[in-house]
Amino acid sequence: MTEPGPGQQGPAPSGPGRPWPARPEPTQPGPIQPGPIQPGPIQPGPIQPGPARSEPAQTGPAQSGSARPGAGPPGPGGHPVPPGATPYGDAGTPRRLSPRVLLIDPIRMLPGLLLPLAGVLVAGGFSPASFGWAALGVAGSVVYAVVRWATFTYRVTGDRLELTRALISRSVRTIPLERVRGIDITTPPLHRLLRLAVLKLDTGAGGDEQEGELDALTLEEAENLRAVLLARRAVTPFHRPEGSPAATEVTAPDGAAHGGTPDGVARGAAGQASGQASGAVPGRASEHHDERVVGRVPRSWLRYGPLSGAYLLTPFALLAGAVGLAFQVSGELRVDARTARAAFAWVEAHPALLVAAAVLLILAMPVAGGVMYAVFNWDFTLRTRDGYLVAERGLVTRRTVSLERRRIRGYELVDGLIERRFNVVRLWAVVTGLGDSETRGQLLPVAPRTFATAVASDAVGPLSAPLRPHPPQARRRRLFRAIAPWLAVAAAAGLLGWEVAALAALVLALLGIPLGLDRYRSLGHAYDGTRLSVRSGSLRRAQAVVERRAVVGWTLRQTVFQRTSGVLTVVAGVGAGTGGYPAIDTGQEQGVEFAAEVTPDWIRPFLAPQAQAGAADTQ
Amino acid sequence: MSRRAIVLWLIESLMGFAVFFGGALLLAYWIGRSDWSALPGWLSDNAWLLPLVVGVVTAPLVIIEPLWRYAVHRWELSGDVVYARSGWLSREWVFVPVSRIQTVDKAQGWFERALRLATVEIRTASHAGSSTIKGLDYEVAAGFAAELARRAQELRDDAT
Repeated sequence: MTEPGPGQQGPAPSGPGRPWPARPEPTQPGPIQPGPIQPGPIQPGPIQPGPARSEPAQTGPAQSGSARPGAGPPGPGGHPVPPGATPYGDAGTPRRLSPRVLLIDPIRMLPGLLLPLAGVLVAGGFSPASFGWAALGVAGSVVYAVVRWATFTYRVTGDRLELTRALISRSVRTIPLERVRGIDITTPPLHRLLRLAVLKLDTGAGGDEQEGELDALTLEEAENLRAVLLARRAVTPFHRPEGSPAATEVTAPDGAAHGGTPDGVARGAAGQASGQASGAVPGRASEHHDERVVGRVPRSWLRYGPLSGAYLLTPFALLAGAVGLAFQVSGELRVDARTARAAFAWVEAHPALLVAAAVLLILAMPVAGGVMYAVFNWDFTLRTRDGYLVAERGLVTRRTVSLERRRIRGYELVDGLIERRFNVVRLWAVVTGLGDSETRGQLLPVAPRTFATAVASDAVGPLSAPLRPHPPQARRRRLFRAIAPWLAVAAAAGLLGWEVAALAALVLALLGIPLGLDRYRSLGHAYDGTRLSVRSGSLRRAQAVVERRAVVGWTLRQTVFQRTSGVLTVVAGVGAGTGGYPAIDTGQEQGVEFAAEVTPDWIRPFLAPQAQAGAADTQ
Repeated sequence: MSRRAIVLWLIESLMGFAVFFGGALLLAYWIGRSDWSALPGWLSDNAWLLPLVVGVVTAPLVIIEPLWRYAVHRWELSGDVVYARSGWLSREWVFVPVSRIQTVDKAQGWFERALRLATVEIRTASHAGSSTIKGLDYEVAAGFAAELARRAQELRDDAT
């Protein structure tokens, strides 16, 4: 707070003059917490719980503008938290994790301790001595947790975050704030009880060891730290993508801007309403000038969950886990082969039971899948905040993922066969350098298409061009590829005299007809001046919408068969998401023209030698 | 492409041929030996035909492929865009603007060293925007890679 100059950064991390106790006495955590190290300093002052709280009722007008730390008049860049205005001055003092995590640590260690403890008790014959050993083991783990807590510190200093671990060997991990690509706050159930949160930094470095994790902070501290980290991050030059979402932020719908209804109430109503879109208001503005709810998924939409096929295998995973556990336990209890064989014989003698169990498992698939889906995607909310997109979800474990908006290059709309019948889609962001993008990049769970496109247009940017269909040769190829392999299998099986296999393959070949036609219908590409889009797939249809500036190169491919059909596949290389987005089986000229339309400077100079016809009618 | 690239591709296609032919021989040997009742008699009796067919079909390709590749493969750096065409039966055209290049590698395998050839690998943030140009004369490859690296540094565009 006092020295905002970036040059003032305190001593080097490994220097001798450290301002914090370097080697605390492990067994006495008490006396080593003098003043500034305790989480004390963050509690005084106007720091209210941040807006990402889990209770719905409090996200409303309870805390308006000034409630956030340092949310004074917005700076020139619109960043409400100027550097230095927070408890993390530039000479940031090292801090510890919340001591409340000590209540969680032993419980987390319990499963690991359980078997050894049981072993000690059984081997020792429940004598006082064995109880003593067991108690010692528990006490040891508690002490370990305390020591680990006491020797771990973190601090924000200048333009970096330092995580210092001094348990056995001293290690300092330095994370430059400009490397922080996203912040992920999770509150597992136990943490939630104690009002704690786990904060993870996504640095895009790849590999878990490279990412910073703070387990656990108080909720306030986590919010606060996020604000600080993101504010520092945002100080660096900040250009928004063309077709800018910045504009939409300013011109949020007027009616919602005053927020007459607290969000919690709106959401509660939405939960009861069975109709679509009743509670889902794209573009609703909240009280914070820097924060706005882009989309909120009402609970009634959770019923779409099973359509996505997500978590359908949950019963089997549970079963596998149970079987594994049974094997482990039987090993511990020394169940011999004879008993096992007897058990199998008993099961074999009751086939009805086996069938019933199988039926039960299959019936449980959609139910368990739906429940899991609901647990993970409960009250999914997408907000914009200080140049970040913040997605929050989860019933038991509340998870908050912040994605830096200037790293978002586009989005992907995915729908399966069944989802398309109900006109619902899932939405992902295409982000550069995002690890674990499957969960982190999710912008919306299963939601009606109109809503999803509205949210995508608002949060990332609209695509204002219709998809162009691909030539009829593409349909022939899709059909051929869906049918021919099964026909070949059927022919081979017929030759070899396997009737059942031949029949099954024939049925699959017949099913290939609608599948191939649908695959052809899915194919398409578009370009509207700022974004290009490609779509393909049938059982899992995906439409990617990517900014033009994200394209880093083009690959055009043509197999022999494509050449005879006069089509080719154009892959837009994008340094984000899956890396390449193909427009499959475009017409020969159409494909080249598509690439040339998006990036004329790169393609046009080369057009003459390879696609004369295409070049002639384009320029 | 250097003319010596033809030799390189010839060696590679010969190796491919050896693998295919050997595999076919092994398969025929296995089918002939096994008395698996599920296979009809005419198949195991005529198993020796398989390596023969494979040999007859692929042997001409060993010669044709390198020549064809030499006719198709092209690369060009103009207007700060690298354009590379490759393939023989299937074709591939890659356009990589120099401003998006992240690394330029020059690599040499055993045979390439023997033939004084080199491969230039151009990497961007995406695999679909990356290109590998094989069979360049070593001197040419070195000059090309150096030029690319220099231009890439000048034009670096951090959009990704």
